[in-house]
Amino acid sequence: MNAYKFLRTDGTGVFTRFAWPLPDRGPGEWVEAEPDPCRAGIHACRLGDLPYWAGRVLYEIELDGHVVEHKTKVVAPRGRLLRRIDAWDDAFRSGYTRYCADRAHEIARENGIERWEEVIEPSIPEGPALLGFVAARIADAAGGADAYHAERARQADWLAERLGLV
Amino acid sequence: MADHEHISCQEVVELVNDYLDQTLEPDETSLFEQHINFCDGCDWYLNQMRTTISTMGRITEDEVPPETRDKLLSAFREWKRT
Repeated sequence: MNAYKFLRTDGTGVFTRFAWPLPDRGPGEWVEAEPDPCRAGIHACRLGDLPYWAGRVLYEIELDGHVVEHKTKVVAPRGRLLRRIDAWDDAFRSGYTRYCADRAHEIARENGIERWEEVIEPSIPEGPALLGFVAARIADAAGGADAYHAERARQADWLAERLGLV
Repeated sequence: MADHEHISCQEVVELVNDYLDQTLEPDETSLFEQHINFCDGCDWYLNQMRTTISTMGRITEDEVPPETRDKLLSAFREWKRT
């Protein structure tokens, strides 16, 4: 299956610092690691997982072997980077951050919890992962777990549509 | 520890050793890493812990200067009394 993976700007894993073989006029080399969710294996995002892991650079990744589905990620024994998603750049990240901030204001006002708005604008410099969380957290405060997940799904739809991902 | 979908900075501090020891459950690890992904302060704290553990792992007792060892022992004894 194909999925997505955020890396640091230097091409290393966000948490592992593993230096990924990057695509260069073709897919990167295969990387292998026995899956053990959150400890080992090739970790990647489905479309719906993107808001939880929004990072600096985004790639499409091909996964091979038995893929373990996790709540907010998938883990496989093999993977290779297919291409960089060029549309995910600093301008796009800023646009998505603004979208999440506006949603957070909207949810707070609609639900009479304006006090939550105090955290929104000061959080913007921290970027899209935090603002996505802030919007979902305010939805949670307004409507509980279902509202949290609905907001995360809405963020994923927004990203998929504008990044041209299916 | 955490409520349904997130953990706080305080919880990150409490869980950091378990995270580095890889003894957290997968769901806990996922929430921990999501928090680290958006919280620069906790990301910095995690990296400081990694650096400290890495540095301490390389130092043998003989490499600690006597005055530093005395200061540390004094600090630990004081810590024990409080």
